[in-house]
Amino acid sequence: MGDIMLELDERYGEGSFWYLNPKNYCRPMYKKPKEEREEYGIGMAGLEETAIEGMKSIIDTKDEDPEGFKSEMEGLSATMIEMAPGQVIPLEDAKKVVDIAQPLVKIDCICRRMTRATLEEEDCRSCLGIGLGMFRWEMVPERYKGGAEFISPEEAKKFLEFWNKKGMVHTIMTFGKTIEGAPYIGGVCNCDYPDCIDIRFRNDYGIKSLMKGEYVAKVDYDKCSGCGTCVKRCQFGAIKKEVTTNKANIDMFSCFGCGLCKETCPESAIELVERNSFPALRDEW
Amino acid sequence: MMPEIVIDKEKCTTPFECKKCLQICPQAVFMVLPTGMHTFRENEPEEYKLLAVFRDKCVFCNDCVEVCPVGAIQVKIILGGGE
Ligand code: SF4
Ligand code: SF4
Ligand code: SF4
Ligand code: SF4
Ligand code: SF4
Repeated sequence: MGDIMLELDERYGEGSFWYLNPKNYCRPMYKKPKEEREEYGIGMAGLEETAIEGMKSIIDTKDEDPEGFKSEMEGLSATMIEMAPGQVIPLEDAKKVVDIAQPLVKIDCICRRMTRATLEEEDCRSCLGIGLGMFRWEMVPERYKGGAEFISPEEAKKFLEFWNKKGMVHTIMTFGKTIEGAPYIGGVCNCDYPDCIDIRFRNDYGIKSLMKGEYVAKVDYDKCSGCGTCVKRCQFGAIKKEVTTNKANIDMFSCFGCGLCKETCPESAIELVERNSFPALRDEW
Repeated sequence: MMPEIVIDKEKCTTPFECKKCLQICPQAVFMVLPTGMHTFRENEPEEYKLLAVFRDKCVFCNDCVEVCPVGAIQVKIILGGGE
């Protein structure tokens, strides 16, 4: 998996992270011939069908057969990784993304719709669709059931901040691949456990359809007051308060680099450091 | 220990509208999925299917069975998860 991320950044990042390269948003996708575009499925169409088929086959697996269940899960995971690897990104990077990729569209969260049957109110839609594929979504209203609202980059930044405050993890979501083979980036999501299917798959089943971010969080013990605010924010169980030292302790192997802890620290004691700067964490995706 | 969660489709006809079990389950075991996608119209309430996708996480609390207004769910314990 380390290879996948290194390859993404090296081949498609052009000196930066792959998701900060404007070329990976949409345009290359539209250079594909029509048949190929349909094969990959712009937006969610193909993905939805595959996911639904995958879910159904999990359910059809004989109930008394845990091994079958496991192998079905693994099969689904392979499909998810192939079709739509996502990655955790911190708020700062999410804000950069909305500056380089448009249009930006507030839509209902599809995961929560499937796991908790929620329909989000107009002022609290929590998913952000990105790119020209969004225009095609209108053809299939089921996808944006509950409405779609086109917003400006400035509005999108406020929207991201709003969900960050509430404790949601930002993730880059991809759907299919662009003509150069880079994942086609189709959304910035605001996710949490257990209702986000990607976080669920990753946390509970180790399915890497959601990859760790390009950063890891590090605590400055001199600044940390041990208030414990950050502990409640971590969706990945990476922080605890060390009783003896009365400081926050982050397991950097478990950290996904979402930065939620950092955003909330009253002492600014947490820093996001590039994953690649720690030799031991470079292959931890 | 893999549970067997049986959902009676004849009784549970509009799971997205009802959503009681989906929202009460402490382990978020269930998912409701559209059975198809149409151009220019949303799915009818009947065009959804309830699935116990994450059933290996079920703790047999029976909340879903009790909350279901039409008695559509059965949760069976299979001891040992064996053959
Ligand atoms: S990835 Fe996150 S925001 Fe997007 S649909 Fe899933 S839970 Fe919702
Ligand atoms: S929020 Fe900041 S000051 Fe408080 S425990 Fe966490 S790192 Fe320390
Ligand atoms: S430790 Fe902080 S940055 Fe790392 S996953 Fe937890 S909340 Fe996110
Ligand atoms: S028995 Fe409890 S844990 Fe199991 S599916 Fe029903 S509500 Fe969820
Ligand atoms: S509570 Fe019963 S009727 Fe309602 S969605 Fe669940 S299984 Fe269907």
